[in-house]
Formats: sequence, C-alpha cells, structure tokens
Amino acid sequence: MNKTLLIIAREYLTRVKKKSFIILTLLGPLLMAALIIVPVYVATKSERDAKILVVDDNDYYINRFTDTEHLHFSYQSGDIEELKMKCVNSEYDAVLHILGGTQSTKLNLYYGEEPPMSLRENIESQMNKLVFDKTVKDSLHVDPKKFDEIKEYSRVSIVTLQLDENGEEKESFADMNRMIGLVCGFLIYMFIFMFSSQVLRGVLEEKTNRIVEVLISSVKPFQLLMGKIVGVALVGLTQFVLWVMLTFVIVGGVQLAAPNFFGASAPSIEATAPASASQMQEMAGAPAVAEPSLFQQLFDFYPFSFVQLIICFLFYFLFGYLIYASLFAAVGSAVDNETDSNQFTLPITIPLLLTIMLIVPIAESPNGSLSWWLSMIPLTSPVAMLIRLPSGVPFTDLLLSMVLLVAFFLFSVWFAAKVYRVGILMYGKKITYRDLLKWLKY
Amino acid sequence: MKLVEIQNVSKSFVNHCALNDVSIDINEGTVFGLLGPNGAGKTTLIRILNQITLPDKGQILFQGHPLSRSDIEKVGYLPEERGLYKKMTVGEQAVYLAQLKGLSRAEAIQRLNYWFHKFEIEKWWNKKTEELSKGMQQKVQFIVTLIHRPAFLILDEPFSGFDPINANLLKTEILELKKQGATIIISTHNMASVEEICDEIALINKSKKILNGPLAQIKQQFKQNLFQMKISGVQDGFRDSLPAQFELVAEAKQGDVMDMTVKLNDGATANDLLSAVLPMANVQSFNEILPSMNDIFIQAVEQA
Repeated sequence: MNKTLLIIAREYLTRVKKKSFIILTLLGPLLMAALIIVPVYVATKSERDAKILVVDDNDYYINRFTDTEHLHFSYQSGDIEELKMKCVNSEYDAVLHILGGTQSTKLNLYYGEEPPMSLRENIESQMNKLVFDKTVKDSLHVDPKKFDEIKEYSRVSIVTLQLDENGEEKESFADMNRMIGLVCGFLIYMFIFMFSSQVLRGVLEEKTNRIVEVLISSVKPFQLLMGKIVGVALVGLTQFVLWVMLTFVIVGGVQLAAPNFFGASAPSIEATAPASASQMQEMAGAPAVAEPSLFQQLFDFYPFSFVQLIICFLFYFLFGYLIYASLFAAVGSAVDNETDSNQFTLPITIPLLLTIMLIVPIAESPNGSLSWWLSMIPLTSPVAMLIRLPSGVPFTDLLLSMVLLVAFFLFSVWFAAKVYRVGILMYGKKITYRDLLKWLKY
Repeated sequence: MKLVEIQNVSKSFVNHCALNDVSIDINEGTVFGLLGPNGAGKTTLIRILNQITLPDKGQILFQGHPLSRSDIEKVGYLPEERGLYKKMTVGEQAVYLAQLKGLSRAEAIQRLNYWFHKFEIEKWWNKKTEELSKGMQQKVQFIVTLIHRPAFLILDEPFSGFDPINANLLKTEILELKKQGATIIISTHNMASVEEICDEIALINKSKKILNGPLAQIKQQFKQNLFQMKISGVQDGFRDSLPAQFELVAEAKQGDVMDMTVKLNDGATANDLLSAVLPMANVQSFNEILPSMNDIFIQAVEQA
C-alpha cells in the first residue's frame, strides 16, 4: 500500500473516531435544524384560536374589531374589575380593556395564560388603524376609506431586474442572495479555520512527541505533510457532507411528520424578506396557488444555480483550506509549542479575519471594487467570492480568482514543504522570520 | 565485508560545521559503537545514514551502491528522542509504523504478536500509549525498530530509560540480532555497554573522526603498559632493589599482601617484571591493566 495513503488513512481515521468529532457531527445538524424548525414552530404554536373580550369605557370601539382565522372578538360593557376575571376562569383567553379619556388611548390586556405572540401584535395593529381612522374622521373630516384609497395610489414599489450580458432580464432576489452569500462565506471561514488549526496541532503533536524522527526515517517529509493535509481535508468534507445530509434528514423528517409545518411558515419568511417574497409572487405572473415550502422557495426561485454554488463552495473551501493548512503546517513545524505559533499564524489569518469583518459591506455591494479585490486576493477570496457568488459574478472574474487561488496554493505548498522539512527537526530554538527565509534556501 | 561505507562526508549548517570529511567503514555483522561528546556531529551522521538529511559533500555506499530511497526499508532506526502517538493504542500504532516500513498489515500483526509475546507486553496491545510507563514505551519503540527485519540497525542511546533488567534484555536481543547477521550501530554515552557489546568503534569529536577501529585494537593502542601484581612475603628493601624501568605507580598493603600497579618503561616486558620480582616475593596474581573505554574516550577527546 502506498505510504502516503497509509498516512492519510491514519490521519482520517484517528480524527473521525474521536468522540469530539462524533459529537460535533451530530450536534451541528441538530443546531442547524433547530435554527430552521424552532422559529417556524414558535410561529405555528402562536396560531391557536383565542377568544378576546373587549370592554370599552367609551363604547366607541364596540363591534369594530375584525375577527381573524384565529382571533374572535366579543364585546361587553360593565365593571372591568368583574369582567377581567373572565380570562382567569378560561371563559376568554384575554380581556382587552380600552380605558376612557379623550386625549390618548390606553389599553390594558389581561390574560391568565400567556397568549399567543401574534395576539398582541394583531390587537395593536387593529387598534392603531381604528384610532387612526377615528382621528382622520374627527379631525380632518375625511372619510377614512377615501384616505386609504389615496394612500394606496401613492404607494411606490420597486422591482429589481438584473440584466445579463445579452440584455436579458434575470430575476434578482437581492435579499435572499445576500443571506445565502453571508451564510456560505461564514461557513467557509469557519471550516477553513477549524481544519487548518487541526493540521497545525497535528504537526505540533508529532514534533513535540518526537515521533516525527521515526516517521521521516520511513517516509519523505513531503509525504507526511501531504498525508496530514489531505487526511484532515477528508475529515472536513466528511463532516460537511454529514452535516448537510443530517440537516436535510431532520428537517425533511419534521416536514414529513407534519406536512403543513412549513406551509404555515410562509408568513415568517415574508417577515424576514418581505420584498423578495412579494416580488416573487408578482414575478411569477400569477398568484401563488399553494404556498411554496421553504425548500421549494430556495430551489425553484433561485437565480444562481444551486449546483454551481455547491461546486464553487467546495472548490473555494478545498483550495482555501489547502493554502491555510499548508501555511499552518509550516508554522506548526517551525515552533515548539502552540503558544509560540500565534505570532506566525496571526499575520496569515489577518486577511481572513478582515474579510469576515467586511462581510456586510461586501454583501451590500457585491460588485464594488472592495469586493472585487478581496475576491481576487488568494488569502481572502474563499470567503469574499462566496459572498459575491449568489449575486452573480462575471465568468472572467470567477476564472481569474480561481487561477490566482490555485497558483497561490502551489506556492504555499512549496513554501510549507521547505519550512516543514527543516522545522520538524529543529528543537529549542526561537524561530524568527529571518530563519524561515534561510530555510527556504536549504 | 563492508555493509556501509561513509566516504568523506561533510555537512554544515548555517553557523557551524557538523561533519568534516568523515570516513568510516562499517563491517557486516558487527556491532559498531558510534561515540563522541555531545554536539560532536553523531546525530547529524545518523540522520544522513537515515536519509533524513543529505550530506553537502561525500557519499554513503550501502551494500556497495550509493544509498538510495529504496534502501530505507533495510534500515531500522531508534532515535534518541523518541515518542509515540499518545492517543493511539499501542497495537494500532505499532501496526501503522510497521506498515510505513513496507510490511503488509497481516504480516505486521503476525510479527508484532511474536515480539509482544517475547517482551511480555501482549496485554498492552489495546491500551493507549499515554497509559504506558516510559520503559514500556521504549520496548514498543524497540520492537517497531526491528519489526521489518532490517539488515542495518541504528540505535541512538538505546539503553537510556531502561532499568538494569530491561537493559539486559535489550543487550541480549542486540547480540541475538547480530548472530542472525544484522549490522548494528549504537550511539551511546554508556561506555560500559560499549565494552560489553561493541566489536568496533568510531569516535567523533568536533565534527571530525578522531578514532576508528576494532575495540580490542584500540585498547592495545591506548594501553600504558600497566600491570597489576599481588605479592606476599616481601623482603625489606624491595622497592629499592626494583630496577628503574619498573615504575611503581601505586601500592597498597593489606597485612602481608601487597597490591601494586607497575608501569613498564624502556621497552620492558611482562616477563622482565616477573623475573625481577620472583626472587624477592611470592606472586599471587598478575595481570595487565587495559584502559577502559571511558579512559580512552576522555584521553582521545582531550588530546584532540
């Protein structure tokens, strides 16, 4: 068996068998699924029926509230001290007391058990409208209906239409793109950092253990270096694939168990991205017949092909990781302990940290010059390009960025191999940057 | 027959010269002691023999041809600073290291079983290395070094960290390997063990070879014609009647018995000494004092 393969197998298996790996692999998807399911669940949970008793001291708002699917209003006059007890003995879910007075309107909402979240919002918005209409009528002497019409006329809506090279319209979903870009950029940052650090620790372990001398009397240092880097890369890919699969399994399982679960979540999506959701329906040309599920929305209406995005994600993750892992390995070989490694890893990681700090400006203007440069520089491009990608990147830009990344990868592996070869046998010496440069000449 | 020929090897690092024109031949089937003070260049030479580093000048011949990557599986190396993966189990780790030396998995396991049994450490197979004592780890490392039956073994300070019982076990094993035809280089500061097991030695000091040859020959070279003699019934005036070419270096008297160390000068022989003493005293014991490896080491290094 090829010795590099042996090394890869060891690096991979020892890590995959670790308890921490298994726990993280299982916990990750649970967290991600929870991030998707819990908000939807909370939103659904609040959609239960509620009966509300309205007590108005002025008797103006009697019969003016509109029942919704879940909220039913009743009205009664009388002593509030007596009536408010009705929500305690469960006759009503809540009692709304509109206090008397002319200037401002004050409301008290009594409840026994915590009412659904939407209840308060609904009452608040209904009441706002009612008070507004009353004011319009009383002070401006305008029919509130007329007022609404005027408001409707003067509404402006912007539909964004992106043109491609041939001047053809592309559907654009700026907000959604931005979100996906941010998530991808952050994921790639996390993965690169997590697994490059593992390579550094692995190299350091072998060096401080002194097993490295036995190893390099059997294999070439380069084989050892590459075996470790590739082995850890496979661990990263395994974890990524497992995370994606498990997340889908968990979310899909929930959807299967409760088919209407995500249908009901449509309002919450609209709430997070109101512009894009309404645009989608407008652009579709016809009103949506059935509310699309979250996944359908992602897959069906997405302008940048998902397959493309995943290929690019893997490409940038892989090469970004390879660059950082080989540089980190060089650092790990040059120092004696993890504390010393910081002074060398910091300058390498600053570009990556900087990109993460600039993640919002990049997402805001994915085709600005800052975004362009950051998506070209090899140390920052894995994150920056992934943020830009969903908004559409010219093919030449993508190609240039990829070529630069691969070229820098070749350089960093060459550099790492040189430093590693000398570094792993160097003990008890504080290494300076000058030393590193000297080692390159060996 | 020569197994390894080190020819005019030089190696320097940025600020110092580690090896300066060193040539050593190592004969097949010998236990070869590579000696020298700290920092003399031994480790560099050993790393060159292991192809961990390349010499700047000169070359190494192995079985008559220049040493190459394909010879690596014929070499077994036990470094001075040795370690194992702490979190891996002993067995898994030994199999991995044996595989890196070119053994198949099945073969590795089979041979390891034999050695683990021989060294009575079978029950450690599934333990993590960090649970082992240092001596235990050393055993595992020693096994891993010779598991692929190398023709050429390089042991750097093999006895450090072993208790006397295990050190003995190791010596027996080294001599057994020699009997089976292996050539073994031992680098050590333990001169007593050098005298016990080495056939030939080379002494390196300040990057140069200053001494090389069979142990017995070197001892002859460094002998100072010292003889130890125990005599009784000494007559008065013995000291004065002893001819001048016999120098009394030390003497101690216990009752009637006198223990003396005599240095022979001016080409005098042991027979001359005996015939001079015999008329004056009864000889109880008589033997030549050969210099210990320890003395030779110190003398050679100080002279250089």
